[in-house]
Amino acid sequence: MNLESRGIPAGFIASREFVEAAAAQGKSLGIKPASVFVPHPIQDRTDAEMVQLAQDAVDAVTELVCKQQKES
Amino acid sequence: MTSQTTLLDPTAELMPVERQLLPRLSELAGATIGLLDISKPRGKEFLDEIEKHLLKLGARVKRYTKPTFARVAPTELSQQISVECDAVIEGLAD
Amino acid sequence: MLASQLDNNLTVYVQDDPTFPASISHRIDDTSLEFSYRNAIEIVPTLIRLKNDSENESRIFGWDKQQWQEFTGIENLGAELIDFKPGCGSKTQDPGMDELLALKYGNQQFSARRVDLAESEDIMEACFERGWSDGLPVVPPTTVRVMRMLSGTDRNADEMLGNIPPDNIPCTIEKLAINAVMAGCKPEYFPVVIASVEAALQDRFCMHGLLCTTYFSAPVMVINGPVSKQIGMNSGVNALGQGNRANATIGRALQLVVRNVGGGIPGGIDRATMGNPGKYSYCFAEDESDSNWNSLAMDRGYERGDSVISLFAGGGLQAIIDQQSREPESLAKSMAASLRGVAHTKLFGMVDAILVISPEHRRIYREGGWSKADVKQALYEELMTPGTELVRGANDIAEGMPEKFRDIVLNKFQEDGLHIVSAGGTAGMFSAIIDGWAASGSLGSQIVSQKIL
Repeated sequence: MNLESRGIPAGFIASREFVEAAAAQGKSLGIKPASVFVPHPIQDRTDAEMVQLAQDAVDAVTELVCKQQKES
Repeated sequence: MTSQTTLLDPTAELMPVERQLLPRLSELAGATIGLLDISKPRGKEFLDEIEKHLLKLGARVKRYTKPTFARVAPTELSQQISVECDAVIEGLAD
Repeated sequence: MLASQLDNNLTVYVQDDPTFPASISHRIDDTSLEFSYRNAIEIVPTLIRLKNDSENESRIFGWDKQQWQEFTGIENLGAELIDFKPGCGSKTQDPGMDELLALKYGNQQFSARRVDLAESEDIMEACFERGWSDGLPVVPPTTVRVMRMLSGTDRNADEMLGNIPPDNIPCTIEKLAINAVMAGCKPEYFPVVIASVEAALQDRFCMHGLLCTTYFSAPVMVINGPVSKQIGMNSGVNALGQGNRANATIGRALQLVVRNVGGGIPGGIDRATMGNPGKYSYCFAEDESDSNWNSLAMDRGYERGDSVISLFAGGGLQAIIDQQSREPESLAKSMAASLRGVAHTKLFGMVDAILVISPEHRRIYREGGWSKADVKQALYEELMTPGTELVRGANDIAEGMPEKFRDIVLNKFQEDGLHIVSAGGTAGMFSAIIDGWAASGSLGSQIVSQKIL
């Protein structure tokens, strides 16, 4: 939110563990940040699994900062 | 002690009363996207893949790292990102 | 004693200490003041007699033994007490309570939308984050503050003042009050703020065009008449500078209305190349201490006793130093020379101006036997200039008047284009020029005045 206040569109990515915390913080701040949630767990994943997680989320993550884009 | 504060709207009331996020970028090509790693494990690998994708879409990407995941980004880092980037994605919180 | 005589037909409402008086069982805690408010209690004690359960009531207040005896029909009531004590003000009359109680128990309705802040929002930041600010902190417009502002006028909160440019949004007294609160105005300034908006909405002022310009100008306010002293405005030392709440906040209120209601925002409709610092606020009172010198309002047809606001599209401040002239003729030539520089020395009949004459310079004119009219005439004559000096290319300067003016004698200012006011401290042989908009005149903006009611 700090970066939105500085004038640039911002978003964050978190695991699904964070869904409720993010909602609560949004309510407390009065504004819900742009967010994408990916499946938990994260910390013990292999490199290949992280790549897959990212590829699954890639469109949603792009939309965090940009209106819908087609790959050129 | 916090109690709910109600203010009266001084505006023309044309926009929704709830605070709105900034509009998103209209296109990625030529834009500089910041990727801010909040320093939790496996975040870098995730963001590496995101970076590949954004580059394919014609964006420029700059990488940043928070010194510690426990605290908000230092002011200088936020200032740097806001000057160097058109938009920013923060991750990966777990 | 009263209670026992009346057998339980006495109810005591207590504003401060709910345990008093201990001897009376039928007593009601009115520390919330709801009963007192709804029953318009102004003095305590008030004794109210209800006939037939509340339809008809009569009341007395304070303590007057004889009056209480007659009122209650109890002959020796309070025989051991003193004869008279006037009583105290009810807590409902404490400063500020009126609005608070009206909000709680009265019928106060606001038309404006309510903005509920989130629990961890800082109130001051919240106003910034919502874009309501001109860059400086604003006073958060709570319902109580807006109510207090509305009490500064007799006009109805839902009275429509007009459509605020550039978005042409209808603005009520209530909406204006919200912005006046944010500007930091006191309720007693509100009639002046209302008049400033009415002035700005006069066609002749051309507010819409002024908002869209690339030029520097913005509304400049001059206040005349009794109101300026009544609300403590500054017409003396540093009158055009900072430090006086009325000067600062009255000027600011109009700017906030234009921003928040009208949608006139820098970078949006407001594309001023540079702007000027007066766009935060540019408002001062004229020094009217010299009864031989007509005020700006009087020049414009008002009486000395009228409270008037004049609005001028202008900005900035150009200094005129003259510490040598002891004769009015010399001083007038001096001022004329400086006035030539308004906008451009070779542009004539295009831009209006306000000449602000300091008390010291006014003294030179007065001692020389000159009236304000004499000053105006001398400046007019001094500023007549042949077109040959002014046309484009003259003096190797490309800018200037179009060729067709070559053979004419022109005056720097168009009809009703130069206005003279007096302000400033009594030390300093400096006067000043507030220059006007590049679109001054009947096709653009001209000075307007509005009575303050």
